[in-house]
Amino acid sequence: MTDEPQGVWAYLQHNKEGLTRDSLEVLAAARKVADKLGHEVVGVVIGYGVSPSAKQAVEYGADRVVYVDAPEYEDYFNLRYIDAIYGAVVEEKPYALLFAANELGKDLAARIAYRAKTGLATDNVQLEVEDYTNPALGSFKDLLIQIRPDFGTRLARIYTPRHRPQMATVRPGNFAPLSPDKKRKGKLEKLEPEERDYPAKVTEVVELPPPTPDLPGAKVVISLGLGILKDGSGRPRNPREAYDLAVGLKAAIESRYHLKTELGATRALIYAELKELEGLISKPNQVGQTGSTVKPSVYFALGISGALQHRVGMQNSGKIVAVNSDPNAPIFKIAHYPIVGDLYDVVPKLIQAIGGQQAA
Amino acid sequence: MLVIALLKGVPARTTQVVEVGGVLNREAMDLVLNPHDAKAIEAADFVKRTVGGKVAALTMGPDMKLIPLMKPLYASEVSGVDEEYILSDRKMAGSDTLATSYAVSLGVKKLVDMHVKPLEELMEMVRRAGYSEAVKSRASELYRANLLPNRVYSELPSVHDSIIQRFIACEITAEGAVAELEAVKAHVSKFIVLSGIKTTDGETGSVGPQVAEGVSELLGSVVPHATYVDDLYVDPGSMSISSERMIGSLKQKMTMRLPALVTVSTDYRPRLPLAASLYDVRGNGYMGKVLAAVKWTADDLAADPKRLGLSGSPTIVGSGVDVGKPPVQKVVGSTLVFARDVPASDLGGAKYGPFSKGDLAAGLPEPLLSKLQADGSVSPLQYEMLPSELFG
Repeated sequence: MTDEPQGVWAYLQHNKEGLTRDSLEVLAAARKVADKLGHEVVGVVIGYGVSPSAKQAVEYGADRVVYVDAPEYEDYFNLRYIDAIYGAVVEEKPYALLFAANELGKDLAARIAYRAKTGLATDNVQLEVEDYTNPALGSFKDLLIQIRPDFGTRLARIYTPRHRPQMATVRPGNFAPLSPDKKRKGKLEKLEPEERDYPAKVTEVVELPPPTPDLPGAKVVISLGLGILKDGSGRPRNPREAYDLAVGLKAAIESRYHLKTELGATRALIYAELKELEGLISKPNQVGQTGSTVKPSVYFALGISGALQHRVGMQNSGKIVAVNSDPNAPIFKIAHYPIVGDLYDVVPKLIQAIGGQQAA
Repeated sequence: MLVIALLKGVPARTTQVVEVGGVLNREAMDLVLNPHDAKAIEAADFVKRTVGGKVAALTMGPDMKLIPLMKPLYASEVSGVDEEYILSDRKMAGSDTLATSYAVSLGVKKLVDMHVKPLEELMEMVRRAGYSEAVKSRASELYRANLLPNRVYSELPSVHDSIIQRFIACEITAEGAVAELEAVKAHVSKFIVLSGIKTTDGETGSVGPQVAEGVSELLGSVVPHATYVDDLYVDPGSMSISSERMIGSLKQKMTMRLPALVTVSTDYRPRLPLAASLYDVRGNGYMGKVLAAVKWTADDLAADPKRLGLSGSPTIVGSGVDVGKPPVQKVVGSTLVFARDVPASDLGGAKYGPFSKGDLAAGLPEPLLSKLQADGSVSPLQYEMLPSELFG
């Protein structure tokens, strides 16, 4: 196709410190796709006082940044942002348009996709470029392959063969931001969208401190699953003991290696609402499809069987240590260090091994 | 006030999923109501009790599967839903979010028209026929079809001052009645659409905002939306909705003029309904419940068939992807690894190594392996070696 639209566009979110981590990841995803296609990466930044963020986008991989910089865009307001992004997009009809798969990205992307009458694949964990042949629709060269968790069972490829832009949201935690290059050159273009009246008004915006624990930023994550309720012989155990062991392991790692360590949990454990873990493990600790996606250098899965919904949230971890008494637990398929055994025996040995080095 | 709750039937179990070419076959599975939608019904009930009106549930899917799911909703939450509508047509099967949102938007528009048209009809009759019995009998018919609010016409024993009653009793003129009916029409056009934040099958969370866009297109005016709303209040005076939501780390308050769409977060808790005026709440209310779900097909919606089902869906679900490559595994206590760095060595003309601490010793020829094990260079992985493996 000679008239195939060009360009991989990425909507970039920012805060007081500059572009958000989620957005740097989207930029890395856009760069990967654009390099495979031989297209340019265009960043879209909207706000007030955003020219530092626009420049930062170039350092992190954008070839061109279109930005809106006006006082009425200071606070996030979905309808006004949607009009601005849609205006820029219709004018240039990019090949692909990416957003971060967080609340803000999804708030915008869905409505823009409907207005553009194109498809939207949400929560992608990977993006590829491949040729695609469909018996009914024909062959398509260099299509964006959007890979997202399917209903419960697998990761599925989603194609948008006949519509442009191909729109996707990228799940945070699956792409590493590129290293900034101060010498990269890129074009900055300021847009002046026309101001309209809206039947809605943002009356208050408060930026809350980042959630604790900061799972996506952790170097080591120690996660607990429902398996902590029993020991290797099947006798019930107080889950508080497992929590204390995890805290002990965290303390040992932090003092010996100075690596930022956070505690995680499976959805099953959080939804069990155990009173022993009240106030200790809650929703912000959740790792998996409906929680955080993490990519630490080391991931400890303690008493976790490894349902797909959990695995998609942690499978890209550098090294995975899995402790489970069930040798058939699916988590062992992706673990680098499978330990079939009782976590109440194994974790103290791990702590001892780490602490032992400290003594030596 | 028309309160529309969008609901979806989702597969009950992830272990029993019947799909053909990436499309779920809902007819072949047990369905349950999408758990997130319970919050939409709670919020709808709250809005109805603050402003007065009716809650209409709108869903899409095979009607034979959905009717049993929807039936209990008439009695759910506090006062339950009042009417149920199911968009059900083979032509809609296999819809992605775009095609779904198109069909649902048409459904919303049809619901609104259904409640506006009777008012226009009455206005026309009042203008033309004047003080006739025909006006009253038509109003009664529409009232019993649950299409007229008590404010317009009512057969409640306590209501004697509805517009049509006062008109028949010559208390107001035809012009006066038409003006009042116009005001009611403007009020009825200020509907609210509520949905869950996402469904447990698709998990996209896209349909809410897309329906807002779809309805905007059909109405020719912008319908605002707010996603992930955890607190909301409809002001009956200004007919606007104040919402509060968390967007990442931003806590945002937004006021929207109705009509508007809201997706209701799992953190939503209804406030105590503080009706500004019970008189108005009753006036905006309708006769009662219609206890039989209504099925609407693509033809009923006058839908463009090219925008429905598979042909209206830009996205195609393709083949699955292997979840990661199986990693090289090291088992504590059995996998043979190098316990220290070992320089390269020759054996029978072949060169082996050099090896670093932690390298797998599997695949080395037996004499070499025995030698390395004997001098302690290779041993089964021990717990003591794990820290340097993991953090070294």
